Amino acid sequence: MTYTLKAAHLYGDLMNTYGDIGNILAMRYYAQAVDATIDVDLVSLDDTFDPKKYDFVLFGGGQDYEQTIVSKDLQTKKAALTDYIEAGGPFLAICGGFQMLGHYYIGAHGEKIAGIGALDHYTLSQDNNRFIGNITIKNAETGQTYYGFENHNGTTFLGEGERPLGEVEQGNGNNGQDKSEGVIYKNTFGSYFHGPILARNEALAKRILKLALQRKYPDADFSALDTLNEDLTKNVQVKP
Amino acid sequence: MSINSILATWTGKSAYWFLHTFRGGGSSLPGKLALKLDPAILKHLARNYDVIVITGTNGKTLTTALTVKVLREQYPDILTNPSGSNMKQGIVTTFLTAPKAHQKPLAVLEVDEANVIMVTKYITPKAFVFTNIFRDQMDRYGEIYTTYQKILDGVALAPEATIIANGDLPLFNSKQLPNPILYYGFDYQPDGDEHAPANTDGLLCPNCQHILHYRSRTYSNMGKYFCPNCGFERPQLTYKLNALTAMTPTSSDFEINGQAMHLNIGGQYNIYNALAAYAVGRFMDVRPAKIAHALSDNDEQVFGRQEIFHVGDKDVTLILVKNPVGLNQVLQMISTDERPFSFAALLNANYADGIDTSWIWDGDFEQLPGLKVPAYISGGERYKDITFRLKVAGVPTDKLTIVPDLTNMTAEIQKLPTKQVYVVATYTAMLQLRKQLASQGIIDGGMA
Repeated sequence: MTYTLKAAHLYGDLMNTYGDIGNILAMRYYAQAVDATIDVDLVSLDDTFDPKKYDFVLFGGGQDYEQTIVSKDLQTKKAALTDYIEAGGPFLAICGGFQMLGHYYIGAHGEKIAGIGALDHYTLSQDNNRFIGNITIKNAETGQTYYGFENHNGTTFLGEGERPLGEVEQGNGNNGQDKSEGVIYKNTFGSYFHGPILARNEALAKRILKLALQRKYPDADFSALDTLNEDLTKNVQVKP
Repeated sequence: MSINSILATWTGKSAYWFLHTFRGGGSSLPGKLALKLDPAILKHLARNYDVIVITGTNGKTLTTALTVKVLREQYPDILTNPSGSNMKQGIVTTFLTAPKAHQKPLAVLEVDEANVIMVTKYITPKAFVFTNIFRDQMDRYGEIYTTYQKILDGVALAPEATIIANGDLPLFNSKQLPNPILYYGFDYQPDGDEHAPANTDGLLCPNCQHILHYRSRTYSNMGKYFCPNCGFERPQLTYKLNALTAMTPTSSDFEINGQAMHLNIGGQYNIYNALAAYAVGRFMDVRPAKIAHALSDNDEQVFGRQEIFHVGDKDVTLILVKNPVGLNQVLQMISTDERPFSFAALLNANYADGIDTSWIWDGDFEQLPGLKVPAYISGGERYKDITFRLKVAGVPTDKLTIVPDLTNMTAEIQKLPTKQVYVVATYTAMLQLRKQLASQGIIDGGMA
């Protein structure tokens, strides 16, 4: 492979509750088209996060208990992660990971759990309710439609300087009130979408992949990704 | 005996008789009717029984069936609930329709995790068996800690019952309980020091919240775990698998506490089920040689979840999958087949399948292209998701056929280049395929 991206799977051993690793697998699949590959490091409890080392970061969702442990350890990586995000490092944060990039979220027992405040949102909880089901949103900038599955109790409210990843067309999104879903801040993308989001949304996968590739290899041409169109049925027999 | 419970029993039995005679079925309605008249009906119905409750995420049905086989070596009267009737109504129906028993009969009940408390409110079991707790269709069940707590809420009503638990699962060693506990597990490998793969659930030490290590690991987060930070470790095992001599897709040979065993079903996960059945057998004083005899019996009815049928000259093994741990175990089992085989994955996302398909990304499909698999089929209502999953795993497109409509499956199976065919399917995809097979006379109708 000509190009190699280095990815950090943040707390992948604690925060991978809904196949979040599929996001990296899907990106790696599309990367083949431009002769690129992705190496993955697990960066977990007591590990150091080096913002200069990585071209992409995935931070998935976890179970309530694991998230409380991660929240504490995450504070030790706060400065490094904030540096990475502010420097425009491509970052995908899903569900609990999305919540923890913000100021705080409310845990399963009503306790306020600290995020790192790298992004300006906060997350409350609903009483005895979860948003569960299929969800569709539209990204304002590109007009692209994204499909996913949401399953969350938290209701997230975006702050100044944060744009939603999309406007809810079907489903609940960040909070069930303001039609926003997810977040975009610099090159950081947050979402409640499982599915995983990049496995089900080729356009977004390629967008983030291209960001990462161009950031590391500014002189290389990755425009092949723009015209790449995954056709499931290409060279495959289909018996409708 | 109260008037209510007599009336409730009579109503339930009549409903069963009616359904059984005129409709050829009826597993939960009689229980439902009886419960309406007397919510405490179980107390009355089960009053003479010694009850063993089997619960956990995976392996309940087979563990229950194997336990019944083991105990039958020594105890003539054993009542058990049919697969799937593991919630309150089904359990009441099981007791309502029990044949008249002599002396003190045994009941071996598969109980849904959240329904343990529905049972222990009215019955004090002699023993509980905890098979495992894994992530399982979280849109329905929730997280592993919540699931375990639900079970423990039920167990709290029976603090003297013995718990027979999978000792290889850290979760089952995470809470101090008043009950006597016996552990079973795998203990045949030399000690090393390894981590579980990153996308494994339940890796935190319950004492100090560091990541657990393993001296040896079987699968998922199970094995001889220990915490390098605080010394938390796997408890002493009473029942040990001390040798694993052979594994094929259809059988396993191993030793438990020095007793050689042969099991006519493949898969490491089924060895855990056999270990659990062995543990209950020993707990109930069945001799090891008798247990070995019971387990080696080739009983098709017991092993129904791994169904083999024939389409033309193909031998097709149909296996239900519903969560990543189960799926990975099935893939591991298939990989022990030395013959070339074709592989089909059928994915639906209806309520009974789990409406979130994300879990397929935690399945280790990546191992398939390294095996002798000349042809693949992807299909089901969510064929796009499973097809893309297989492509990402490295399945070559020229070996892949997409079959969105499962009514075409039998025709496609016949075209496959190998005699051996493995089909993994989610619940409703399996039902649709079985319906198709039944309509063509390949299998008998109904669900196994």
